Amino acid sequence: MTLTSLVAWGEQLEQTRIGAALAESIYAFPIIEGIHLIGLSVAIGLLFVTDLRLAGWILKRVPATAVLRQLRPWVLGGFAVILISGSLLFMAEASALIASPAFAFKLVFILLAGINAAVFEFVSARRPGALDAVERLPAGVRFGGLASLGLWSLVIICGRLIPYLPNWT
Amino acid sequence: MTVDAVLSAIENSAIAHAISKSNHLVAASLQVVHVLGFITLLAALVLVSLRLLRWTFNDQSLADISRDANRLLAVGLTLVIASGLLMFVATPQLYFYKPAFELKMLMFVGAVLLQFTLLRRLSSSDARQWVVRTVVAVSLFAWFGIGFAGRMIGFT
Repeated sequence: MTLTSLVAWGEQLEQTRIGAALAESIYAFPIIEGIHLIGLSVAIGLLFVTDLRLAGWILKRVPATAVLRQLRPWVLGGFAVILISGSLLFMAEASALIASPAFAFKLVFILLAGINAAVFEFVSARRPGALDAVERLPAGVRFGGLASLGLWSLVIICGRLIPYLPNWT
Repeated sequence: MTVDAVLSAIENSAIAHAISKSNHLVAASLQVVHVLGFITLLAALVLVSLRLLRWTFNDQSLADISRDANRLLAVGLTLVIASGLLMFVATPQLYFYKPAFELKMLMFVGAVLLQFTLLRRLSSSDARQWVVRTVVAVSLFAWFGIGFAGRMIGFT
């Protein structure tokens, strides 16, 4: 599939009833962007808190398991908001986003952050005693936290750079 | 000196010229720092708010949570103020007369005052739960409103 056909698919998406309604409304687009930012602040912000705890930089007196367990519902709830609002924003300007390298890199970093989360969840955190230490957690867990922090920061940086960087062509 | 004259003086300052005449990626970097700062700040606020409301970390002391949250809040606040000031200085006329910007600044001043007066006190006292709920709700409403108003600036 070439970039041209992807952009054409994006244009079709923009012409659907939802895509056109969002693009034409004066208020809908900025309101959904605002919701996207709030969801981002809650989900990724609290994920940063979790990552910094895993790295051993903050909340050292709070067990890592407690931080993971207590913040998970809020992080997941925030991600649901990001996913819904992000999909709507995509529908409103799909062709421009597909043509943007910053958007492509954003998706790549989201994928890498997802892989990192899966490795943490199913490998690092399942090792016996992995999250039991009070202050300094094992290297694999600390690395997972810092990798998550770095990758999600890159997702935000790429997202904000979309209007500033030139297109692929 | 009129407001226009002040804005004009700011726009013609050396620092404003340095930013506005530099590569557009400088402005983009300021936007990136502004968003990252806002996310850090809001994460700290949401963390403390959840604990104040007793929705999370009920087994941990409020002091243990708020100590590090306040550090995060300071980092976030520094980043948003520094990057925000530089963005404003570069193009003050663009921002100053926009209703969304005025609303954002009003809510920002209110939210910061609330943070450093009532919320700080709540973090170190046994206030009644309805008072805590009201203050936390007003604070979060203001900070979320700041985010919304910030996004609206580009559309108004």
